[in-house]
Amino acid sequence: MARPARPLPVFLNLFRIRFPVGAIASIAHRVAGVLLFLALPPLALGLDASLRSEAGFEAMRELLAGPWRGLLGLVLVWAAAHHLLAGIRHLLMDVGVGSGLAQARASARAVLVAAVLVALVFVAGWLA
Amino acid sequence: MRLFSGQRAWVVQRLSALLILFLLVLGGGWLLFGPPLDYARWHAFATGVHGGPVVVLLFAALCAHAWVGMRDIVLDYLQPRALRLAVLSAIAVVLFAVMVRVLLSLAAHFSLGP
Repeated sequence: MARPARPLPVFLNLFRIRFPVGAIASIAHRVAGVLLFLALPPLALGLDASLRSEAGFEAMRELLAGPWRGLLGLVLVWAAAHHLLAGIRHLLMDVGVGSGLAQARASARAVLVAAVLVALVFVAGWLA
Repeated sequence: MRLFSGQRAWVVQRLSALLILFLLVLGGGWLLFGPPLDYARWHAFATGVHGGPVVVLLFAALCAHAWVGMRDIVLDYLQPRALRLAVLSAIAVVLFAVMVRVLLSLAAHFSLGP
C-alpha cells in the first residue's frame, strides 16, 4: 500500500526511542504477565490431574521436580519471579515507597537482576 | 468495555495482587514447614472445607488479575475494534474455562468430612 512518505515522529520510531531501565522493567512485567496468563490453563489442568488419582499426583510432581523441558521451565520461573518482584515494587510505589527517580531506577535494576538470579538458581537446582 | 475498567480495574488489579501474594506466602509456608506433601494430604487439603475455598479464591484472584492485565495490554497495542473484540473475547473464554475447570475438579472430589 502506498503510504505517505513522511518521516515518523522520533518518539514513535521504536529504534530511536530510548529505553531507560524503568521502561525495560515495565515491558518485562508485561511480557511476564502474558506468559503467566498462557500458563493458567495448563495449571488448571495440572490441578485436576493431581487430584484425580495418586498416579496423576505423582506425574505432576515428577513434572515439577524434573528438569522439565529446560528452557520452558527457565522462562516460566523467570516470568513468575519478575512479575512478583515487579508487582511488589509497584505496590510499594502505590503507597509512596521508592517512587523518587533515583530509587525507582535502582529498584527497577534490582528487580531485573533478582528475577534472572532466581531463575538461574532454580535451573541450577534441577541440574544438581 | 465498561466491565472492570477505569478505577475499578485498578482496584481489582491491586486487591487481587495482594490476595495472590498472601496466598503464595501462605502456601509456601505450608509446603516448607508442614510434613512432606503426598497425595493423601494434598487431596484432603484441596477438597476439604478449608482448602477448597482457598484454591478457588486463588484461581479467582489469578483470573481477575489476568483479565485486567491482558485487557490493558490489548487496549494499548491493538487498535482495530474488531480485532480488540476478538482477542478480548478469546481471553475471556480462556479465563472462564479455567475457572470452570477448577470448580468442576474440586466439586468432583469435595468432601465435608475430615
